[in-house]
Amino acid sequence: MASLVQPGMSFLAPSLTRDIAGDMPVSPAHGLPIRLRGVTRRFGTRAVLTDIDLDVAPGQFVAIVGRSGSGKSTLLRLLAGLDHPDAGQVRLGGQSPRQAAPGLRIMFQDGRLLPWRRVLDNVALGLPRADHPRATEALHAVGLADRARDWPRVLSGGQKQRVALARALAADPQLILLDEPLGALDALTRLEMQSLIESVWQRGGFTAVLVTHDVAEAAILADRILLIEDGAIALDLAVDLPRPRRAGAALAEIESRVLDRILRRA
Amino acid sequence: MSERVKVFCFFSSEKKKSFSLFRSAGAVFRAAGASFLKERSKELVPMARALLPSVVPVALLIIWELLSATGAVPERKLPSPHRVLLAFWHLTRTGELPHDVLISTLRAATGFAIGGSLGFCFGLAAGISRLAENLFDGTMQMLRMVPHLALIPLIIVWFGIGESAKVFLVAVGVFFPIYYNTYHGIRTIDAGLLEMARVQGLTGPALFREVILPGALPSILVGVRYALGIMWLTLIVAETIAGNSGIGFMTMNAREFMQTDIVVLGILLYAVLGKLIDMLARFIEIEALAWHPSFSQA
Ligand SMILES: Nc1ncnc2c1ncn2[C@@H]1O[C@H](COP(=O)(O)OP(=O)(O)OP(=O)(O)O)[C@@H](O)[C@H]1O
Ligand SMILES: [Mg+2]
Repeated sequence: MASLVQPGMSFLAPSLTRDIAGDMPVSPAHGLPIRLRGVTRRFGTRAVLTDIDLDVAPGQFVAIVGRSGSGKSTLLRLLAGLDHPDAGQVRLGGQSPRQAAPGLRIMFQDGRLLPWRRVLDNVALGLPRADHPRATEALHAVGLADRARDWPRVLSGGQKQRVALARALAADPQLILLDEPLGALDALTRLEMQSLIESVWQRGGFTAVLVTHDVAEAAILADRILLIEDGAIALDLAVDLPRPRRAGAALAEIESRVLDRILRRA
Repeated sequence: MSERVKVFCFFSSEKKKSFSLFRSAGAVFRAAGASFLKERSKELVPMARALLPSVVPVALLIIWELLSATGAVPERKLPSPHRVLLAFWHLTRTGELPHDVLISTLRAATGFAIGGSLGFCFGLAAGISRLAENLFDGTMQMLRMVPHLALIPLIIVWFGIGESAKVFLVAVGVFFPIYYNTYHGIRTIDAGLLEMARVQGLTGPALFREVILPGALPSILVGVRYALGIMWLTLIVAETIAGNSGIGFMTMNAREFMQTDIVVLGILLYAVLGKLIDMLARFIEIEALAWHPSFSQA
């Protein structure tokens, strides 16, 4: 198993300790709390989300699962301020998403790297010039420091997603929203990326909301799994297992509880 | 792990096989000959490639010269290449030709700069702002359909046959392709990238510099290349119809005195200058779009 991991990955942990823990201060209050009250979103006459109440503690890792079209991305876009609720309120640390925007980053499924900027410039996108060293550090943290001068198009799918993760990390955000960031990756790269995301989250101290199709992924990463169904939160399951989590009976039990709940309606 | 071992074994057995092959002298010879040929063709291919495009023009020149020499083509209708060359030499020494080329180039550049920058600005406005788009894009799409050369009679009434008439005509000609391609280029930027840029906190000039301009650039450069062609065509027409200087005037003037060698020289000059400008545009594309898969050198 160990030989399957890329050579660069084994250095990840020490470099993270140096870069993220060293230069980006870790504080328990660093994460942004989320508070939703009565949030409703309709498209036309169809309500996608109805009257959602949700509280997420600072620094918590929340996974959102649900069937395709259940409104997971819609919820994420509401949190990001890219979309607005028809009713109800979204507060991030007491502020509106727009006010909280500087401390918020998204990692998209398709990476969304600028094809006309080199890898490092992509990571530094939106950073003030004085903060550009952070971009190098973030790139280092995802194990791609040696690809800084490459065009995004020559990277593999997994490498592109690592660059996208570095870009999300570089601004030292308080909240990261991940919309199926690993959906397009092969199983092995997924595993690598999952442990990478877990370790940067543990060191970064930010709040994380991960939308995923993969219940196993949710169980490995999340403190808490939310299932969205019929526009409401149908299941809110705390996952209180030690990290890093390996496949085993406890994890399988969590997975089957979520899957049973999803499949009950099938 | 075992896979790697297998791979290694495969390699070593392959080596053994090739060893036994090379023991036979014939095979060694054949291999040496093949590698020699390969070396030679490696050097020859790039040279042949570089020369290939000039084969057709050179062949045409030779045929033309031969036809003139045998009298199959009368000198009065079409002078032979060497007479055109002589005319070139003569006009260059008198300074007439450089003067006319300079004048034509200046006109082209001025018209392009004015029309191009206006087209870019309007295209930018329509691409970025819905208000601007609603305000004038419909009008632009309508005006775009008018062949700009149809304006010549009106322009002569307005400006006479002086400098401004020609510059104006070129400017009108290049305006529309650059307007349209700038507008279109901005509108077709991936919405996902714009959304991502917003999340990264980019607004105003930074958004323009990082996303909008580079995203629209391939389309803008298509417009530039197209506009360069139009610029040239417009200038030839304008100088031929009305003027007292420039390459177009030089050829028209020569026609009156039946100096067909100068007429042909003028036509060839347009071809050469046009080709040079296109090469420049191509160079700019390669430099500016190095990130683009269609333009990458490596
Ligand atoms: N901009 C929009 N206009 C109209 N309908 C929309 C819009 N965005 C989303 N919807 C609808 O809202 C519903 C939820 O979409 P959403 O993208 O949130 O689903 P999802 O849970 O993320 O699905 P998936 O897992 O397939 O990504 C879908 O039925 C979709 O058609
Ligand atoms: Mg989705």
